[in-house]
Amino acid sequence: MHIHLHSLIIHYARFIGSTRFLGTLLLMLVFSLFQLVAAKPASAMLTAKANHDHITIDFFYHGSSVSVRGESDPNVDLVIKITSPEGHQVLKQKGKVGGMLWMNVGQLKFENTPNFYEVFSTKKIDDILSREEMEKYTIGYTALQKHVEVTPVANEEEKTKWFSEFVRFKEDSKVYATSFGKIETTMNKDGRQDYYILTDWPYQAQPGDYLVSVYAVKNGKVVEQAETKVNVEQVGMVKTLATMAKNNAAFYGFLSIGVALGAGFGVSLVFRKGGGAH
Amino acid sequence: MYLYLPVALTSINILVPVGLGLAVGLLSGLFGVGGGFLMTPLLIMFGIPSTVAAATDSNQIVAASTSGTYAHWKVGNVDFKMGLYLLAGGFLGGIVGVQGIKLLHAMGNADFVIKMTYVLMLGIVGVYMFIESLQSMKKKKNTVVEEAKEEKESAMGRFLKSLPLQTRFEKSGITHSIFVPIVLGGFVGILAAIMGVGGGFLMVPIMVYMLRMPMHVVVGTSLFQILFTCIEVTFLQAYTNHSVDFILAVLLLLGSTVGAQVGAVFGRKLKADQLKILLAGIVLAVTVKIIFELTLTPSLLLSQAGGH
Repeated sequence: MHIHLHSLIIHYARFIGSTRFLGTLLLMLVFSLFQLVAAKPASAMLTAKANHDHITIDFFYHGSSVSVRGESDPNVDLVIKITSPEGHQVLKQKGKVGGMLWMNVGQLKFENTPNFYEVFSTKKIDDILSREEMEKYTIGYTALQKHVEVTPVANEEEKTKWFSEFVRFKEDSKVYATSFGKIETTMNKDGRQDYYILTDWPYQAQPGDYLVSVYAVKNGKVVEQAETKVNVEQVGMVKTLATMAKNNAAFYGFLSIGVALGAGFGVSLVFRKGGGAH
Repeated sequence: MYLYLPVALTSINILVPVGLGLAVGLLSGLFGVGGGFLMTPLLIMFGIPSTVAAATDSNQIVAASTSGTYAHWKVGNVDFKMGLYLLAGGFLGGIVGVQGIKLLHAMGNADFVIKMTYVLMLGIVGVYMFIESLQSMKKKKNTVVEEAKEEKESAMGRFLKSLPLQTRFEKSGITHSIFVPIVLGGFVGILAAIMGVGGGFLMVPIMVYMLRMPMHVVVGTSLFQILFTCIEVTFLQAYTNHSVDFILAVLLLLGSTVGAQVGAVFGRKLKADQLKILLAGIVLAVTVKIIFELTLTPSLLLSQAGGH
């Protein structure tokens, strides 16, 4: 009896063990199936991939190019927005003094503004997106203006004036841009739409993380959204010097002065030797 | 070829800073000015942020003025004693000037006062030097008029002679109370701090017309004085504002150190009046440029904050 009970317990334990094993197996199967589904986009899935998502800044860096490609449903319009994280920026404001002299008259603070803002679309955004949707996703300068806080301004009219000056200033330094018609779209053999854009990456764009958001648009609304990232980083000596200038400022200052003094004396000596013959 | 500047965070064609350095270094060696009033706006024009432009320029001037001082010292044209008194005055003046700026900012019209001081100083110095050197070129033929002028100025001379602590400045061949260079150096220091410039274009005429130093010694002594001012400014800018771009400074000084040597050699071939009238011409050209900037509608109404 005792032996029988013992074997029964062992049998029971084996049974439990095997069900656990089976359960784990089942779970893995479901999980891998899920992964399979995720990897192979279903018909309503927008994808986005930046080809050059890690831009390195070395001494010879003079800007780069970034391409974004992916797949979308057919018959949708696309909007691609590339932005840096939002922050606040303080800029000097020029105005007329005494009715004739242009000079700096104060400072303007722009809150919730990205340093970098580029929007590309298949068609003119005003024609494909409703105002509400543009504002919801901060697409286009009009929506960005609503999103941004400008101080000090007396009224909405002044805000509009200074925000458009802000955009002109940013466009001048190549870090703000909007354009349409640059995104290429083709139908692939699965009946889906491939899209592709190649855009210049300005050297004025500072190191940091950039977010690429792709929106599929239909009937004036955003129907799908996908994201990818672009990282811009200083490397090598550029990074060493930039870090030293910030974190080891005294040493950096002495180094700069030392090199300048050395160069001044060095060139003098070269000239003395050269001039000695005369 | 383009190089990326790690502090300015921008890329620049290396021919631009090397060429600018060469040109401004040449003026530095010729006239004994740092050339900040030319270099800083030019760098800003080529896309360098204003704070980085001003700070890096002072770094570059350290190299150019070392090179220039050496070249002038070699031929005995640096009055170290005078330079040190002017430096002491300039240092005190700088402290007063910085407080003055704080006061102006508190009053809310700093930019107007700074711009106006700049235009007036440049304009007055340019016009005075231009007229004076033109007249003295003509008067070379007419010694009688020159003697009459000397007599007229002896009242001012008598006052300066009556001050205590008179000392002889061998190199310049003049005698002054030590308070004269200290006070004049202090005056330039105050204005330079307010305008955010080195002040070479003010120091040179003050040495020529008020201290009555010979033009060629003025150039060497001014460069010696500028060297120390710019070492101090470079360190403060690097330490407090992190705005010195090492790579940009190296590119600029490649040109400016050579330019300063060439300028010093070339300057010895020119007469004092020719040097003065050329400097006056450049100062006047900069004045006109600033007046245009003030009156024409700017293309952008916003600019990077910080710096001036």
